[in-house]
Amino acid sequence: MPGLFDRLDKEIKDSQKDGGMSPLDIAKLPPSLRKIMRLMLRELQMGYPRMCEVMDAMPEQDRLTRDELDSALSDLTEQFWLIRIGKKEKAIYKVNLRRKAGSTLAAGIWSAIDAKIKKPPESLK
Amino acid sequence: MAGKIVSIHSFRGGTGKSNTTANLASQVALTGKRVGVVDTDIQSPGIHVLFGLDEQKMGKTLNDFLHGKATIREVGFSVGDNPGDGEGLVKLAGKNLFLFPSSIKGGDISQILREGIDFNMLNEGLQTAITEFELDYLFIDTHPGLNEETLLSIATSDILIIILRPDSQDLQGTSVTVDIARSLDVPNLFLMVNKALPKYDFAGIKSDIEKQFQATVTSVLPLSFDMAENASKDLFSLRYPDHEWSVALKKVVPYILEAK
Repeated sequence: MPGLFDRLDKEIKDSQKDGGMSPLDIAKLPPSLRKIMRLMLRELQMGYPRMCEVMDAMPEQDRLTRDELDSALSDLTEQFWLIRIGKKEKAIYKVNLRRKAGSTLAAGIWSAIDAKIKKPPESLK
Repeated sequence: MAGKIVSIHSFRGGTGKSNTTANLASQVALTGKRVGVVDTDIQSPGIHVLFGLDEQKMGKTLNDFLHGKATIREVGFSVGDNPGDGEGLVKLAGKNLFLFPSSIKGGDISQILREGIDFNMLNEGLQTAITEFELDYLFIDTHPGLNEETLLSIATSDILIIILRPDSQDLQGTSVTVDIARSLDVPNLFLMVNKALPKYDFAGIKSDIEKQFQATVTSVLPLSFDMAENASKDLFSLRYPDHEWSVALKKVVPYILEAK
């Protein structure tokens, strides 16, 4: 029977399939959220209390109220830019980066390249 | 926060980015710091050559990590324990310098091109490398130009060094990168000019570029035939510490060590 960890892991992986953000999307955010996103990329995840702590330490003009922060977090989670585990004060957030898409070249081209790579040139034999 | 991320970037190829990254990382390691070097130029890796690694000596790679076949601990190659034979490289014996190479196997490169990259995994690898190896500095050698790997490394950097040549195409491309770095709030943005013709006025180049970009030019390095002759076979600044290229390169180190 899957445990709590497996369930959360599956929940994260399922959310990640649905999109995510590009690092460039961070530039579009207001300064305070940009700072939190950058920190989250470095710390890999961030609890809500820590996020409030970081927000409170920002210059007054950049600071978001708790309601503004909650609403921004909710928007970012809906867009799948953030993944939330848990609820309210106990929530932990992770940045969800969009996967770099693979090549759209036909599969046959890749198998031909792989076959060429695996077979050394005559001159090297 | 743990160690600092130092991204070395150039908008165009051929600026000497990998050579600069390897030499700068080594100079910082010589000061006693714990240093990592990641090759995120997954499509055309090359920095491993400067540390004396070839396909035979290379163990697990960043590609193995990205495909779940190795931990980041297994990917880290200790240059200090295996410094190679070069006269410059041997000076790294016993130093805490770790290389996280990308695979040079054709099949691995084509797999990345075919399947793409999981950036959550790549970012986790970078951050885990810092904590597991207790790094003071993690240098990221990026792919030239602006692609998603580069943007990720810029977004997570504490220090970004953009390398450019005194060339109109480089200057134009650099302005794009500088704008992006500023929009991503990179705390320390520096420029380094490489391959300046010795007949140029280096002080003039420095002040013109600083004025154009409103950013610090850490150093202006000359175009050097000696450096070209070295052909990436050794770490030039360690082998020839008094050469003008090496002296100019070493001027960049305090900017890294003193960055907040």
